[in-house]
Amino acid sequence: MFKNSGDTLSVISKSILNSYAQVFFSKNQVFAIVLIIVTFFDLYAGVAGLSAVIIANTTAIILGLNNKTIMNGAYGFNALLVGLGIGIYYQPGFEFYLILIFISILTLMITISLEGIIGKYGLPYLSIPFLFGIWIVIIASRGYSALEISERGIYYLNDMFAVGGMGMVKIYEWFNNLNFPEPLRVYFKSLSAILFQYHMFAGILLAIGLIYYSRIAFFMSLLGFFAAYYFYMVIGADISELNYSYIGFNYILTAIALGGYFIVPSRNSVLWMLLLTPLVAITLSSTSVLFAQFGLSVFSLPFNIIVILFLYVLKFRESKVNTIIVVSKQLDSPELHAYTNYSYMNRFGKLPFYSMKLPFWGEWKVTQAHNGEITHQDKWKHAWDFEIFNENGSSYEGSGNKVEDYYCFDKPVVSPADGVVGEIESGLDDNEIGNVDLQNNWGNSVVIKHGEKLYSQLSHLKKDSLLVSQGQVVKQGEIIGYCGNSGRSPYPHLHFQFQSDQAIGSKTIDYPFSSLISRDNNDFKFDTISNPVKNALVSNLVSEDTLKKAFNFVPGNEIEFKTDQDNSSTIIWNIESDIYNNTYIICRSTGDKAWFNNIGDVFYFTYYQGSTNSLLYMFYLSAFKVPLSYYKNMIITDSFPLNVYPNKALLVLQDFIIPFHKFLVADYSLEYYKNDNAINNKKITLKSSVNFGIANRTISKFDFTIIAGKSGIEKLECGQNNTQIVATRIY
Amino acid sequence: MDKQRYERPLIKKLESNMPNKFGTRTEYLPKTHIDDVAVTELADKYGSPLFVLSEKTLRSNIRNAKKAFETRYPKVQFAWSYKTNYNDAVCRVLHQEGSWAEVVSGFEYDKALNNGVEGSKILFNGPDKTDDDLKKAITNESIIHIDHLDEFYAIKEIAGNLNKDVNVAIRVNMDTGVYPMWDRFGFNFENGQAWDVLNRIMRSDIMTLVGLHTHIGTFMLSPNAYAVAAGKLAELAIGIKEKFDHEVSYIDMGGGFASNNTLKGAYLPGTDISPSINDFAEAITSALISSNFEHDKLPLLILETGRALVDDAGYLIGSVLSNKRLSDGRRSTILDVGVNILFTSFWYDHKITPAQPFTQYTEDTVLYGPLCMNIDIIRDHISLPLLNKGDKVVIHNVGAYNMTQWMQFITLRPKIVLIDIEGNTHIIREDEKLQNLLDVEKVPDHLKDFEL
Repeated sequence: MFKNSGDTLSVISKSILNSYAQVFFSKNQVFAIVLIIVTFFDLYAGVAGLSAVIIANTTAIILGLNNKTIMNGAYGFNALLVGLGIGIYYQPGFEFYLILIFISILTLMITISLEGIIGKYGLPYLSIPFLFGIWIVIIASRGYSALEISERGIYYLNDMFAVGGMGMVKIYEWFNNLNFPEPLRVYFKSLSAILFQYHMFAGILLAIGLIYYSRIAFFMSLLGFFAAYYFYMVIGADISELNYSYIGFNYILTAIALGGYFIVPSRNSVLWMLLLTPLVAITLSSTSVLFAQFGLSVFSLPFNIIVILFLYVLKFRESKVNTIIVVSKQLDSPELHAYTNYSYMNRFGKLPFYSMKLPFWGEWKVTQAHNGEITHQDKWKHAWDFEIFNENGSSYEGSGNKVEDYYCFDKPVVSPADGVVGEIESGLDDNEIGNVDLQNNWGNSVVIKHGEKLYSQLSHLKKDSLLVSQGQVVKQGEIIGYCGNSGRSPYPHLHFQFQSDQAIGSKTIDYPFSSLISRDNNDFKFDTISNPVKNALVSNLVSEDTLKKAFNFVPGNEIEFKTDQDNSSTIIWNIESDIYNNTYIICRSTGDKAWFNNIGDVFYFTYYQGSTNSLLYMFYLSAFKVPLSYYKNMIITDSFPLNVYPNKALLVLQDFIIPFHKFLVADYSLEYYKNDNAINNKKITLKSSVNFGIANRTISKFDFTIIAGKSGIEKLECGQNNTQIVATRIY
Repeated sequence: MDKQRYERPLIKKLESNMPNKFGTRTEYLPKTHIDDVAVTELADKYGSPLFVLSEKTLRSNIRNAKKAFETRYPKVQFAWSYKTNYNDAVCRVLHQEGSWAEVVSGFEYDKALNNGVEGSKILFNGPDKTDDDLKKAITNESIIHIDHLDEFYAIKEIAGNLNKDVNVAIRVNMDTGVYPMWDRFGFNFENGQAWDVLNRIMRSDIMTLVGLHTHIGTFMLSPNAYAVAAGKLAELAIGIKEKFDHEVSYIDMGGGFASNNTLKGAYLPGTDISPSINDFAEAITSALISSNFEHDKLPLLILETGRALVDDAGYLIGSVLSNKRLSDGRRSTILDVGVNILFTSFWYDHKITPAQPFTQYTEDTVLYGPLCMNIDIIRDHISLPLLNKGDKVVIHNVGAYNMTQWMQFITLRPKIVLIDIEGNTHIIREDEKLQNLLDVEKVPDHLKDFEL
């Protein structure tokens, strides 16, 4: 099962820590230790909780369940809650532990079953297994005479004494007597109630742990709790319900879950979280009455119901999907969700799955774009017309009375992406200038299938100019025919559209080009995810082989640098990839990782994890986005996800208010500085700069020079304030 | 109202040409302005004769040429042919438009470096490269187009001594079906010379074959010849790939595209028979695309176009010195423009237009230059309106070769003026002064004094 006992030990210890942290949707180990300490405020409950976790996780290992899931604590935290719950209720003893073993295994089985049942809908099972586990054991134990109800709740000071001596009791009492406003006291106690504790001290300790784990989660928990508190006041509900049983933790958990864990923190997520609070309250009141019939507490049932309901409802949305963004890749941190999602949506949010390029060579002008005024309407609104114009804004030379006068006539038309040729039409005559062939609207056309429900259509091609036949496989950039004037085309132009069906003239779909260059006089602009607009002068990126090779990091390769700071040792980077084919550079000595994505003509860094003073961090900053091409003076800009912000104190402030306002900036800009590259891979110099600031004020600025050459990235110069690091590649 | 212009009376023999409902008249209009700057104003300000270059036309030409190729082929690079016009201002306009430099001598090479072109973007052509030139080119990592085997050995030795890798291409000559066949430059394709030198280069450790170059002729009127040449170079490149598994980075089709000038002896004017840049582009690119290159492995296409880009951007303003009747009754006009500064008049019938309005009456005229030499004939047969002393004429399409092949003979060379995009004029070369010549001449001591 495992290679050696060391592995087993690390799996077990990790699985234990994460099982604790998971109670608050976290995987933060420091927070986990705080949680463990808090559970041991009630010694026996603490022991019971820990035992339950170990039993559940060991059983999972023995059963041969997924290692990663076990390590993540996903199988342990429900058992933990059951253990803590019954640890508080019952007196420990042989019979108690016997019950604990079996109920832990039962909880694990319920967990796995729920993972199967509702997991397939992409929904979390939260603490439902715990609810089943604890209800089962409470009802069942009514008949077990050997189990005694604990009386420790009444003599809790004894426990405190047992755990930490007189000092502990004093600290505890001091905290309990702190003169906090009532709602805040209830908040802290409710927080501690998540771990079946009911004291201020535990609550405050947990709150500190929670802040350490996530400022957003803490902030949301306050917001959610007080929203409920005031809802109770407004509605005239019994505040003592909150006060007495500390059932208020339902609001705290709901707020954390929806305010940042399952949903990307934003103004909208906060709004929805506040809107859902009354629903939790209503569910709480009603289920309480119902469960009281059986002498059971509802525990976290309302939280479970509302969170799962809401997440399920979100799956049925068809529009306005961007107002509430469900976290698609769980990073176990609301901060990361907020920062990386914001950045991801800006950078790749609409990046098409298939790389789509303009279907021609050189620069053409968009003469009719989406929703065009002439023919691009209704079913065919997502289409483009392209023509070639000369310097003086004319599309023809000579009189313009014959098709040959037009610059675009007889120019190569190429496939926008790899695909298979579908329906084609050829052999229709090219119209005389001014005439249109309304019988054969599309003229000579080619439809290419690129993927399911994704076709492109190229129309008005020249008579008998098609170089492809139906069923033929074509590559991106391969000539398929020549621009002409057939069909409904009064003068030569290329009609291009993406459509969802294989027939010529099918309904168009809104699908962008992956990247293109647009020109305004002598200024070139690089656009990704582009729907070019009318009159835009567009061309495909002309790739630059030297950069293409330099940024082609192949998993398995190793890159070695030496810096002018440290002559004795070198820095070694390895290129690796994970099972999901995500590629990253890992620094061998520090373990820092920088994930990247190379989409053929653009290199991106997507994510960075590690220290902010390593060379890899500098490289991540310097090469955040590099189109693998060379356009002198073209400026590329982008923004970093804020989690790489170097000033952590400022970042903490930002964490608190990120759902509402982003005041920190982390801007990237890249300039093509010098191209000594002519033919045989000489040097290309790129200059980039990174500006970390608050609004318009710069806090720290980095300037980088990247030199790429025949053998890859040859040199990296990093300047910050007055310090300069020069890293040179070693071969 | 302006004073009416005086035109001398004219008695003309009845022409028995093909009848035309407008009679026989000149088809062109006076050229009173160049890029909205009055010709008379230019002559007044800068003197006559005067070369004038239009930056607007130059830029528009290179952009249209780039467009013609880039819309037909994925990767294109222009290299400015220095010998066509190596005035620094002209070169820099083209470098600003992205052109590299193509030079054929150490002098041109230095000029390109001086203009700020990186060594790696200079293509070094020509049969005359001295050892020093080669050393400089190798040190600056320029690309050397080898012209003959002696040069191959020289490069091998110099690069070996410098212990520096060198990027080379070979110039290939071939039969493209046009006469005369240019076989004096480079290595012949048909008789195996090209393969001979390619084998040697591929076996050399110090040379990297980066490209194949050809230049099939000058003032070519047949685009098809380029298609044949491109096809042959592609065949060679694919042969190299098969034999050595080596891909050449580029194919350089040289220059030689015709401009709108009319060659002497041509039946029709150049404007009617010269193919457009689009015709050349179509021929070259379709030959390369339909060759056996894989569609995503097409080599870079380099063009060394000179004349077709700069010829119609250049004008020469001249003045009438005198009118004369020749012994056979023909009218002759003497201009202040001689063959010393209009070298191309030896092979073109330049289009020449008066710079002021004229009536429909024209007379067959011989245009002479001012030199005291019998060969100084600008046009031996031109139908011109009746000109008076001091009238200005504009000679068209003189941008190529004149400002490099002109000579200081009998008179001094005039100014060159550039009209920029906004219509401002700039002197880009001063007129020669006596002192310029005296500066380089040396008189031995024993010849310093004399008495007459």
